Amino acid sequence: MLQKKVCMLGSFSVGKTSLVRRFVESIFDETYHTTIGVKVDKKIVNVNGEDITLMLWDIYGEDAYQKMRMSYLRGMAGYLLVVDGTRKQTLTDALSLHERIVQEIGKLPAVLVLNKDDLADQWEIDSVQESKLTQNGWTAQRTSAKTGDAVEKVFLHLAQAMLAG
Amino acid sequence: MNPPARDLHPSNMAEQAQRRAPVAQAQEKPTDNNHAYEELRELIVKPEQEGIAAIQDRLENLEKRTQDVSSVVAEAIQMRREKGDDEALADALAPTIQETLRESVRRDPQVLADALFPVMGPAIRKSISETLRSMLESFNEALEHSLSWQGLKWRIESFRTGKPFAEIVLMHSLVYRVEQVFLIHRETGLVLSHVVAPAAATQDADMVAGLLSAIQQFARDSFTPEKTETLGNMTFEELQIRVVTGPGAVIAAAIRGHAPENYSIAMDETLEDIQRFYSSALANFKGDAAPFRSAEDRLARLLETQYREKPVEKKKPRAAIIAGAVALLLLLAWGGYSTYLLWEWSRFLHALRQQAGIVVVSYTKDGRTFHIQGFRDPLAEDPRKLISQAGLDPNFADLQLAPYYSLDDAMVAKRANALLHPPASVKLNAKGGELDAAGAAPQQWITQFEERAPWIAGVSKLDESQLQNSTVQELNAQKNAIESTVLLFPLGRAELEPGQENNLAQVEKNIRELVAQATRLHEAVDVDLVGHTDTTGVEATNLPLSQQRADQIRGSLLRNGVKAVNLRPHGVGTTQPLRSEDTEDGRQLNRSVTFKVYFSAASSGAASGAAPAY
Repeated sequence: MLQKKVCMLGSFSVGKTSLVRRFVESIFDETYHTTIGVKVDKKIVNVNGEDITLMLWDIYGEDAYQKMRMSYLRGMAGYLLVVDGTRKQTLTDALSLHERIVQEIGKLPAVLVLNKDDLADQWEIDSVQESKLTQNGWTAQRTSAKTGDAVEKVFLHLAQAMLAG
Repeated sequence: MNPPARDLHPSNMAEQAQRRAPVAQAQEKPTDNNHAYEELRELIVKPEQEGIAAIQDRLENLEKRTQDVSSVVAEAIQMRREKGDDEALADALAPTIQETLRESVRRDPQVLADALFPVMGPAIRKSISETLRSMLESFNEALEHSLSWQGLKWRIESFRTGKPFAEIVLMHSLVYRVEQVFLIHRETGLVLSHVVAPAAATQDADMVAGLLSAIQQFARDSFTPEKTETLGNMTFEELQIRVVTGPGAVIAAAIRGHAPENYSIAMDETLEDIQRFYSSALANFKGDAAPFRSAEDRLARLLETQYREKPVEKKKPRAAIIAGAVALLLLLAWGGYSTYLLWEWSRFLHALRQQAGIVVVSYTKDGRTFHIQGFRDPLAEDPRKLISQAGLDPNFADLQLAPYYSLDDAMVAKRANALLHPPASVKLNAKGGELDAAGAAPQQWITQFEERAPWIAGVSKLDESQLQNSTVQELNAQKNAIESTVLLFPLGRAELEPGQENNLAQVEKNIRELVAQATRLHEAVDVDLVGHTDTTGVEATNLPLSQQRADQIRGSLLRNGVKAVNLRPHGVGTTQPLRSEDTEDGRQLNRSVTFKVYFSAASSGAASGAAPAY
């Protein structure tokens, strides 16, 4: 069986851990837990009839005090760039993080996840911006870890992209 | 390649000037001559000129010179070395090589580390094992003089197995169990291969490996400034995780207990082996662990290391334990038996001391033999019999018992019995010097008792209150029997009623025995024979009839040899009827003779006096 290392990247509190929990255990927990260091989880997905083991490295969210260490990303086959749709800044941060990765590691399959779709009334990213992202070659997908909407989909997208790459 | 650039080189120009000097002179001559000379010169020197130009070119062109040197540099160095003058060469090269290495490390230490990895492992191991060996030797020496129980035990084991002591010590420190071994791709932290010891509890290998890698990176990022350092060990109480890191792969072993240091060497060896064998597979790893399946055997050997040690470690104590247990059992059995014997003997001694007529003064044990000193009444129990009864062997008893008379009550009674031979009906009992006789005994024995008992050792007083004279008793019994006899007569006659002969014979016998007994008691016997009649007829005839009847019986007795008794016949007529005469039976009973017996102290004459009173 193929195994792939996948990293969950993004600013703090965008919902990386929640997405992993929803994806792996189908659970959502309202309370917020800061991830310290790394959590490793595992999920087997089926892409085009082939099972792939995804080793999900849920890496602590970057903020002003904690720069993410690139060493955790060593050997990853792809990553989910998680953005909080209700905080515009997290998109900017995610894109700059992406730039850093391209520079230091190289181009890898990635999916842009616009999380917290359930909070549509507080949404800060307009559709123009979203379509611009798609034009720039991004696979961008709105999700909700709370309701479970499209969570499976983003992981499958990434898995497919990694197999193609 | 380039044409000679003469103008650019001053040295060249000077040379040219020299050569041109004659030509300048010749130019003053006609041009034909000049031309011819030029041609001639060209014919003569052109090949040389071209050769010189080529040489010049080779000397002056840096690239060409480099090419020239490069083709001979290896041979040159080799030649230099063959000349045996390589010290200078080494001196010359050393600074450059040092600088090169330093620069290489500064730029990327990984390159050099990777290059040296296959060399360094064995080299370091060799050095470590050398150090360990010398350390153990000194350790050995140190323990040589130690007298600790453990040291002694190991030393015995070393002697028994013929292995060096140090090895035994090492072996005993190998108490561990390798439960899982992971082969992890270093870059991705993904599991390449995973082996588990039988019956070991495991978690998801992928998760464990991922977390291990994460921890490794976290530890490296957080604590070590040098990025090349790796996390080697993690210890949780009894569980230890040993990690050895190679350029492309990591081996992690979960060990329960304390594995010796050289276990890491085995891990290193395996990792080097895997690195060599799978180098391209490791470099091109894209998430498919299939090519590493064959590494399982190598990893499993790391589990087996523990199995190889375990039985060896177990077998020895088992043999020792069995030997020890047998020895202990024998010792216990021997000790138990001796204790049992001793206990039995002491029990026997205690019983012996309780015995009447035996006094134990002292006893000693000499090997298996017991020596017992003391006194014994000749009438006391045989001690040898007591030994046999106690289940002991009398052959192991040396009895030195002097004879004596015991004043113990039981012994006094026993002695009295032995000397007095009392009849079965008499019980002798001794108590505090007083001898009691109870029961019935013949006069003769009573006389003996009274005479002899006071002479018996231990008897100072007699008590006869419970003693009955059996002779007197018998006498009374016979007297009663005689007196209850009634001999019947027919009406008006003095001859016995037919069928009364038996009664007469019985009374005759009784009288004879009574007399015999009484004679022994020195008693004289008088028997009244009383003749009766019934009231039929007149008293004048009845009285003589009754007298006749009494006389008749006396005569009969005398005729039958009854002697030494005074038989006195009386006729009482009807004066002493036995019954009222209301019935014929009553009347019949009154036609009879009855007896009355009297005793009196015998006087010399009376004893033999058989003569009738009248």
